Parts: sequence; structure tokens; C-alpha cells
Amino acid sequence: MLLMKNIKKIYRTEVIETHALRDFSLEVAEGEFVSVTGPSGSGKTTFLNIAGLLESSTDGTYQLDGVDVSNLNDNARSQLRNEKIGFIFQSFNLIPDLNLFDNVDVPLRYRAMSATERKERIESALETVGLANRMKHIPSQLSGGQQQRVAIARALAGSPRFLLADEPTGNLDSAMAESVMELLEDINTQGTTIIMVTHDPMLAQRTPRIIDVKDGLVSEIHNHQKPEIINTPEVAITGA
Amino acid sequence: MFGYYLRLSWLSIRRNPILSSLMVVAIAVGIGASMTTITVNYAMGSNPIPHKSDSLFAVQVDSWDPNEAYREPNIPPDQLTYLDAMALMENAPATRQVAMTKVFDIIVPEGVEAKPIEALGRATFSDFFSMFDVPFLYGGSWDHSSDNNRQMVIVLSREINEKVFGDKNSVGKFVRVGSHTFKVVGVLGNYQPIPKYYDVTNGPFNDPEDYYIPFNLVTELELSRAGNTNCWKATEDSGFEAFLNSECVWIQFWAELPTTQDQQEYLSFLKNYVESQKEFGRFPRPINNRLNDVMTWMELQNVVDNSAKVMMWLSIMFLMVCLLNTIGLLLTKFTTKAPEIALRRALGASKMTLFIQHSIESALIGMGGGIVGLLLAWLGLKGILSLFGSEVEHVAHLDVSMILFAIGLAVGSAIIAGIYPTWRACNVQPAVQLKTQ
Repeated sequence: MLLMKNIKKIYRTEVIETHALRDFSLEVAEGEFVSVTGPSGSGKTTFLNIAGLLESSTDGTYQLDGVDVSNLNDNARSQLRNEKIGFIFQSFNLIPDLNLFDNVDVPLRYRAMSATERKERIESALETVGLANRMKHIPSQLSGGQQQRVAIARALAGSPRFLLADEPTGNLDSAMAESVMELLEDINTQGTTIIMVTHDPMLAQRTPRIIDVKDGLVSEIHNHQKPEIINTPEVAITGA
Repeated sequence: MFGYYLRLSWLSIRRNPILSSLMVVAIAVGIGASMTTITVNYAMGSNPIPHKSDSLFAVQVDSWDPNEAYREPNIPPDQLTYLDAMALMENAPATRQVAMTKVFDIIVPEGVEAKPIEALGRATFSDFFSMFDVPFLYGGSWDHSSDNNRQMVIVLSREINEKVFGDKNSVGKFVRVGSHTFKVVGVLGNYQPIPKYYDVTNGPFNDPEDYYIPFNLVTELELSRAGNTNCWKATEDSGFEAFLNSECVWIQFWAELPTTQDQQEYLSFLKNYVESQKEFGRFPRPINNRLNDVMTWMELQNVVDNSAKVMMWLSIMFLMVCLLNTIGLLLTKFTTKAPEIALRRALGASKMTLFIQHSIESALIGMGGGIVGLLLAWLGLKGILSLFGSEVEHVAHLDVSMILFAIGLAVGSAIIAGIYPTWRACNVQPAVQLKTQ
């Protein structure tokens, strides 16, 4: 489902070159729940940005759902992001002056979708995260955990194949973090592939696979258990 | 999506009320200043009879002083002598043509209580009304026989008819003008050509006349004339007859010549006429006959004052400065929106959809600026009116087309001003923005 081969990402300024990813290769099968760990500056977020088509790689090939995305134009990348990928950010990134309904509506607005269908999806997504009764509230009226739930609802509303979560519990206390993690596990159980960047080893331990990233390379892979998905390919990770 | 973008734009404007207000004010001031001057120029320079302005011609023949042109560079007189005007009326080959002059007198309404009215009139020929598409409320023009037989007939303006006859159909009734009594044959509808192109010599922005009478009555009754009279040599004798035979120019002359062939034939006639007059010792200057269509005539007569044009361009430059300020403010505004833009990019918005969304926001700000700017333009025009008085009454007002133009100009300007800030905003790196949240 996600196949990266020899991905390089180099940030250049006039005086310095920074190699964020070096020959980064990874395959993630449909339905997996993968956590990505590593120290700050190791390249975790860069990997996530490239996986989410928010950045392009400097070199290497990347196939998402069988489509080589390396040479896609902005419109095609936007459409892929919109239809196949859901994002969850550490700081929630809700739009402060839109209510919950309208926040969840944002990705759906960029699809040719009827108002009725959008409404059904939004209500269903908010129902899933347990906030259906607060649709008209604005984000500042919610706790951090609730805001992250709204962000998850926003990511889910478009029925993405992928959820990319960047430190989804980083801004939450342990109780809220636990509830968000449980929600992600539920979502994964229903078949959505999740890649989660986290600093928290306890959370990482709860996912079937852990990928350690160090100095822009995949340094270690832990397989705790096989994901309960049929036809999962063998994990083929190589660090150069 | 348009409704969605409109709603987002409104929310965004409300989110930064001070910044948004500054932009609206910047655009409003620019629009207010430019619309004030554009309105005046537009009214001054607009085509008053667009469907036939290229077939109506002001006629000029150079009967002026051999030693000095009427106006440099070698411009013939604006008006004709009585001798030439009558000769052309009789013999020149035009579809229609009229000689005319301004007259004035006192109109005396019926009834003991009624006060006399000072009135300006136009002595002309019956074709005046059809040539210049003058609308009638009641009745119509007098006929050619009334021209020839010097009949005491009159056409009243709507305003004078109201004052004298209380807005009733006065056709067939009689009205006293000075010491003479005229039979009313027609009452005009609303008629306010701006500029009053057929007589720019006597003020292109003056009101139309209060009444119209056959031209030949001027000589028959020796009526008081109100227009400009210019002479380059003294009359040979005193008295009205000597004045009529003099080289003084005081008659406006227009011909309707629909085709190029008509115009060529008319010019040819003028050439032959002037040559024949030279044999009598008239027309001492080289032949310099001219036919000027309506717009050329107004240009030649400087109907749009040069200082008004300069003011207009200055105010447009001022609008540019205001727009530059708006660009700066939009840059600031859209920079503060970078996180939201990055989020929308991450959630699937293409650069183009975001460009459209933010262009709509620019347009909405422009519309606000346009509405406030119209208010300022209205105040500006009021200021011009109070400075220059009734002379500019007909040009210093906003009509529907100018209001729509102002809104269009404001919206268009704001969209143009928003292109660079919007382009910048749409090119934010989502990854960088989302990471810095």
C-alpha cells in the first residue's frame, strides 16, 4: 500500500546541506498500525510529510496505493491527499472560528460531494469520536482531548485509506492520551492503515510494528505481532 | 463552493476587524477620490447622442480676419454669420440642417397672481427636434411652412409648461413671450443632453432652453439674443439690418450627413460657396471649411477641461498608491492565515482552490471599499458643487452606470491588489507551517 524505495530528502541553504532522510526504504501493508519512533531530528516528521505528500523527496521512488507519486502535479497530489490520506497533528490544527461541524467539513468541501452526503459523514464521524452532541461548539470550548477527537473525526470523515498521526497524544495528559490511543486502535481495527509518529515508547509498544528512525535511516524494526489483516505482505525494510 | 468561500471570507474579515477596516478605508479613499474626478470627466466627455453622433456635423467656414486666425492653430470661427447661415440653409445639400441662436425674454403666465418668468429660448428651424432626437410630451415640432412663413408658434420645455400651464397639455393654447403671443405646438419631455453639444459655444453644461421658436422670427421681430457674438470688423452701419449683413458670427449651424458621400458633397458645396463669396470680397482667408462630428466638436471645443483630465489622472495615481497600501495589508493578513492555509492544503485543497477563496476575500474587501468609496465620492461631488455652483450641476452627480462602475473598479482593483498576497499565501509550505504550530 505504501512503498518507499531509497528516499532521500536534502534541505539546502546557501551554506549548509542537511540530509533529513538517506536511502529510506519502507513498505507498509493495508490495515497495519505502525508507529515511528526516534530522537528529535532523526527524520520522523520528514518521513511523515513525504508519506502525506506534504513534501517531495529529493530522490527515490514512492508509491501510494500503486500510484507513483514522485512526479504528480499539485492538483493530483492534493486530490490524493484529500481522498486517501487523513492527518492528525500534535496541536490538533482546528480552525478556531469554525464550529466542530464546519471543521470536520473542511476536507469534504474539496470533494464533489452533495450537502446531504457531507452532513451524513460529518455526523457519523463526530458520533464515532463521541462528540455528536457538540457539533455547534467552537474548538476553544473543548478540552485538548476533545479537540484531538475532533481532529480525528475530521481525518475520518473522508474515509481515508491512511491515517498519518504526528504525535497525536503529545499535547494531552495521560488519561486523554489513553482515550485517543484507544480510538485510534478502534479505527485501525476497522481496517484503516495508521502510521503514527510518537516519542512515547509506551504508546509505540501498543502498535504491531515499531520503526526506529535514526539519522534519516530506518535503524530497527520491531514486530510484536502480525497485524490481523489478510494478505499482509512481508515487511521489507532496508536501511542503507 | 462560491457560497462557502464567501462565508469563509466573511469570517476571515471578522477575525481581523482592524486590518480589514484599514483595507476597506484604503480602497475607499482611493475609490472616492478617483470616482469624484472620473464622474466629472465621464459626464463632460460622454457621447450625448451615441446612435448618430457620427452623422451630425457642426459646420465651420472661415470668414474671419485675414490677419489673424479666429483661434490658433488656424481654427475657423465656431459660429456662422447670418449671411452664410441663411445661404447654407437655402442651398446646402444636407439630409437635415439647422441654424440656431440663443434668445431670451420674459414669459408671462396667465392670471393676475402669476409672476413673469425670465426665460432662455432657442430660435431654430423645425428640423432641430428630429435631428437631435428631442422627445415630446405633448404635440410636436412646427412644420417647414411655419419656418418659411415666420408663424408665431412655440415649443415649451416641460418645466416652463408646468409653471405656465400646470403640467397640462398646452398644445393649441397661447403664451406671451415678451410682447408677443405664440401658439403652443409642442411640449418637450425630459430633455437634458450632457454636454449640450449643439451649443457648446454658450456653455456645454448649461440647462436646455425654456422655449423654442422659429429662427426667422429673430429677424422678423428683432428679438433679444442671448448667445455669444464675435466680430472681427465693425459693421458698416448701425441698426439690426446692418448687423445681419455684417461679418459677425453668432449662429450655430449643424448638418445631418449620414454617409461619407453626403459629407463629401457638402464639403464640395462649402468650397464652391466660399469661392463664390470671395468674388464679392468676403472670406479673405484661405479656404478652411470644416465638418466636425459631435465627439470631434466637443474635443475641439475643450468641453472636457484639461485641468479636469489632469485631476482625473492624479486621482487614479492616488488610487494606485492606496492599492499599494492594500497589497501590504493583504500580505500581512494572509501571512497571519498561513497556518489555516497550510491546514487546508494538507486536507486536500489545491493551490487553485485556495487562490479562488482568497481572491473572493479580496473582492469582498474591495466591495466594502467600493461602497464606502461611493459615499466619499458623493461627498466629493457635493464639495465640487458647493465650489463651482450650478455650472457643474449636471456633471457632478453619480448615475447608476457610474455607481456600478465604482463597485466594479473597487472589486477589480482589490482582486488585482490581492493577486500577489494571494499567490504568496497559496505557496506556503504546509509541512513547515504545520510543524511550527
